[in-house]
Amino acid sequence: MILNSDSMKPIYIQIAEWLETEIISENINPHQKIYSQYQLAEMFNINPATAAKGLNILADEKVLYKKRGLGMFVTDEAKETILSKRKNETLKTLVVDLVKEADYLNVSEIELIQMVKDASSCIKGDGK
Amino acid sequence: MHKGGWEMNVIECKGLTKVYGKTKALNDISFTLTENKITGLIGRNGAGKTTLLKIISGYLKETSGEVKVFSESPFNNLKVSANLIFVNEEMSYPGSLNLGEILKAAATFYENLDMELAERLMNYFSLDLRQYHTSLSKGMRSTFNTIVGISSRCALTVYDEPTSGMDAGVRKDFYRALLKDYIAYPRTILLSSHLLNEVEDILEDILLIKSGEKYLHMAMGDLKEYAIALSGRSVSITKWAEERKVIFQKSLGAGSSYIVVKNDLSALEIEQARNEGIELMPVSADDLCVYLTNKTIGGIDDVFSRS
Repeated sequence: MILNSDSMKPIYIQIAEWLETEIISENINPHQKIYSQYQLAEMFNINPATAAKGLNILADEKVLYKKRGLGMFVTDEAKETILSKRKNETLKTLVVDLVKEADYLNVSEIELIQMVKDASSCIKGDGK
Repeated sequence: MHKGGWEMNVIECKGLTKVYGKTKALNDISFTLTENKITGLIGRNGAGKTTLLKIISGYLKETSGEVKVFSESPFNNLKVSANLIFVNEEMSYPGSLNLGEILKAAATFYENLDMELAERLMNYFSLDLRQYHTSLSKGMRSTFNTIVGISSRCALTVYDEPTSGMDAGVRKDFYRALLKDYIAYPRTILLSSHLLNEVEDILEDILLIKSGEKYLHMAMGDLKEYAIALSGRSVSITKWAEERKVIFQKSLGAGSSYIVVKNDLSALEIEQARNEGIELMPVSADDLCVYLTNKTIGGIDDVFSRS
């Protein structure tokens, strides 16, 4: 991942999201050690304090747990927590924006649902 | 780098003032830097960055106020000199010594100097140990100076515009080398630059000075969320500008305006602004520092607007 310094998203959020993706895609599994703040700092060329902030967000959300003197590890429920957070927050916001834009463009609900279905079959079709 | 618990103050300034003739280069500056952080000293030309760094490094004596480095006054202080390196453009070395001999001499003074690292960096940046400092180009001289700065591993490393004269590739490599060595050997680093976007990712804190005075001192992350830009039709923008302190404003022509204000809008206000068709945008740390240190809130455009 390349960090985007101009993004609306602060760097530490981008770090947290990257780690979430690593956990969702099972590159790092429950009870495995996650990257340390120093490894992340080195990988992304950022101050270790910024990396620590990203890790602490995930610890607060119980995606990671601390072992004194050993570092941070992935919790049992990490993947589930992340998926439900992304669904209830990120996806919901996207849907609200989508509905707003459709409304703005006078696209009816039925038409919008059809567009969603078309996009879905298009994406899934490509996978076959 | 054990944070948490007790943090040692490496630099303490209280009411620090420096006067040259009739000009006040520094005016009543107070701040504290704790151990093992990378702090960026940011300010416009003539803001007093170099004067401040030279006082901290013991090269100049303050006019009034107090400055403590490792709890001691830095001027004419051997303990401070042995634990601090000041890297700037003016670094001068005895003309009779080549670069290798300069490094050897530096190693007798700085006990933590890593000669192997210095030589590897020299080799990477195509510097020859047998060359003489005076024969180097400006960029190469800066490169050599920064190599001395990194490899000396001083408890307090002070850089004054370290990358001046370097090409873009070398600048990037230098900041990466500095960060890598800092991660391996944590130390306190104070670094001045007027190119904030180049260094912001490796900074933990920022100290912004304006006309010899401290303007703000905060975590880099907080600075990035300090302000927000509103862009939209002038009629709506003016209403938002009236109620708050405007940091920067620009007319975008045809009845549109862009303003930067402190980011203290509530969720409700953000929603309200959006509904009025106002676009909300983040302000980069680099732009924000320029806006905060402008003399007028319109910047250079104000010079040309005579209406």
